[in-house]
Amino acid sequence: MLIVDDHASFRSLARRLLVADGFDVVGEAGDAADAFEAVRALAPDVVLLDIRLPDLDGFGVAEVLAGDDAVDGAPVVVLVSSRARHDYGPRVDSSPARGFIAKDDLSGEALRRVLGDGADRSSTRQVGGAP
Amino acid sequence: MTARLVSVAAVLAGVAASLALVRGGYTVPDELVAPTLVLSLAVAWSFVGVGLVARRRRPDSRTGVLMVVFGFAWLARFVVAVDTTPAFVAGVLLGSVALSVFVQLLVTFPTGRTESTAQRVLVGVGWLLSVPLDAVFLAVGAQRGRGDGPPPNGLVITPSGGEFRPDVVDLTVQAVVVVLLMSVLVSVWLRWRASGPAARRALTPGLVGGTIVVGTLLVERTAILLLLPPSAGVWLAWSAQVVLVVWPAALLLGLLRSRLDRSGVGRLVVELGGAGAGVGTDTAPEHLRSVVARTLHDPTVELVHRLPGTEDYVDPAGARVEVGSRAVTFLERDGEPIAALLHDPALTAEPDLVEAVAAGAGLALENERLHAEVRHQLREVRASRARLVEAADAARRRVERDLHDGAQQRLVAVGLALRLARNESSDQLDALLAEAADELTAALAELRELARGIYPPLLTDGGLAPALLSLAERAPLPVVLTDVPADRPPETVERTCYFVVSEALTNAAKHAAATKVEVSVVPEGDGLRVEVVDDGLGGADADGSGLRGLADRVAALGGSLRVESPAGRGTRVTASVPCG
Repeated sequence: MLIVDDHASFRSLARRLLVADGFDVVGEAGDAADAFEAVRALAPDVVLLDIRLPDLDGFGVAEVLAGDDAVDGAPVVVLVSSRARHDYGPRVDSSPARGFIAKDDLSGEALRRVLGDGADRSSTRQVGGAP
Repeated sequence: MTARLVSVAAVLAGVAASLALVRGGYTVPDELVAPTLVLSLAVAWSFVGVGLVARRRRPDSRTGVLMVVFGFAWLARFVVAVDTTPAFVAGVLLGSVALSVFVQLLVTFPTGRTESTAQRVLVGVGWLLSVPLDAVFLAVGAQRGRGDGPPPNGLVITPSGGEFRPDVVDLTVQAVVVVLLMSVLVSVWLRWRASGPAARRALTPGLVGGTIVVGTLLVERTAILLLLPPSAGVWLAWSAQVVLVVWPAALLLGLLRSRLDRSGVGRLVVELGGAGAGVGTDTAPEHLRSVVARTLHDPTVELVHRLPGTEDYVDPAGARVEVGSRAVTFLERDGEPIAALLHDPALTAEPDLVEAVAAGAGLALENERLHAEVRHQLREVRASRARLVEAADAARRRVERDLHDGAQQRLVAVGLALRLARNESSDQLDALLAEAADELTAALAELRELARGIYPPLLTDGGLAPALLSLAERAPLPVVLTDVPADRPPETVERTCYFVVSEALTNAAKHAAATKVEVSVVPEGDGLRVEVVDDGLGGADADGSGLRGLADRVAALGGSLRVESPAGRGTRVTASVPCG
């Protein structure tokens, strides 16, 4: 998998955490441009993509990757952010990304849950009657 | 009080004059007694009566007083009808006073004051030629007309038949009087010609009447000089007296006209201050000019403004104007001219009117200037208020970003590091790390909530609808979002609507113990109406810091916030936010 985040400390920690949990991290990228390059060069199966990047945001990167013919078999994108999912409203659901993980919840187990089960996407939005 | 005394005196003087005529010792033809008395009393009382009215209505003018004096002088002539030498002397001298007063009245109308050298000369000559000349005339021993027959000095108008043989003295006196009267006519004519429309309105009635009297007298005197048929002279003399009866009314009309012009100044001020004055519009200067022109009866009036800090004046279009070229009256504020009226030079004859109009126009200009200043300041205040809100929002957004990029990221990293550490630790250490991780998770959640409250990132990214939806979902009580516009209004409007809902929801949950809240944002006019209704305790304080701040924020956009919160019946917060 490929880790895309502009914070080097997060990339390093996430890499170690996920490697420890059995993932194979093939590369890292600090911004959208590097991310596209890395995806073409490394063809990862999964991209762990931070939403806030210095150039294009994570939603934009996911859109591009989903529609990029140059990439043989578009990677699965999992969005991460230090903000909460509902801070992005319906944008996570409407993006081609497979799912969302808050950065402080990141673990191999959380990632596996998102990858293995699309149910995470189906969490319904409610109007009124919040939990 | 004085007027009453004067009236009583006039009546008594009339009675005395009548007695003098009837019982004075001269022979008056029976058929002439009544007409002479009626006309003489009519002239005298008309002058005294109308003179008193004129004095009351126009105390600033001496014309009224001169009219009263003329009325008494007219009666005083009757002293001559008493057939004694002292009475003859007094009657001859007093008889000429009327002529002198008449000249002064006509020459100085309507102010009653001599205002030029020519006027002073004419009035002076009028007095010199009557009383002193008569005194000389008496001193040389003339006792003309005394004895049998009608009283002397033309008191009773009667054909002198063929007996009248004028001597040199008579002819000289008559010639001098004719020259004086002609000079008066010329002076009057010159003055009228030099007058502007406003002054002419006041002058015309008095001058026309005076000219007819003078003209009639002139022809009568000339008739004697030219030895025309005496009957013509008699007829003219009667006519002159008839005209004299109505002349005071004409004088009064003239006086009141110039007073009406002055009351026009009152109308000017009212009109300029009125709603239709167009204050602050492009038509305001022309409106002001036309009202001033109408009040001054001078359609050529120009209103020019002084360029601040210079001696130059410009017209409303901004073109430079040479101020010295016409008669000019300055409009001053604090002793400094701020504008000038360029007008007909004839209006300088009515400085009071022009100054009053200038003061009225100055008031309007000052008013206009103050309006403009207030409008300018209001614009400034509105703009700066909007900028303050904008700046505060920008600051909030920056703080949110900084939290997100700084502390939050670091805490996330610490959290991940703890998780890594747990993978390689003993049980005891693991428990400690788990505890630290839990604390960290809670801190992060609080930090995230704090950041979101400071500035909701979703509002910028997604707009009002998703931001309000997210707000509703996270609220600690059920929130029904009934209406949110699909279109995105300007960012400032979005933020304001969002913060209204956010603050109202916080209040509903924290203070009102509400069980549910309804939120709607609907288009209203060219803006949005935000309504948040809860079923809580009510009694919210609209001046509390939260709602007060909201009201300020809404007002900064030119909108308004209303809080209805009757105790026990819930709270309704309504904000109208214009989008312009």
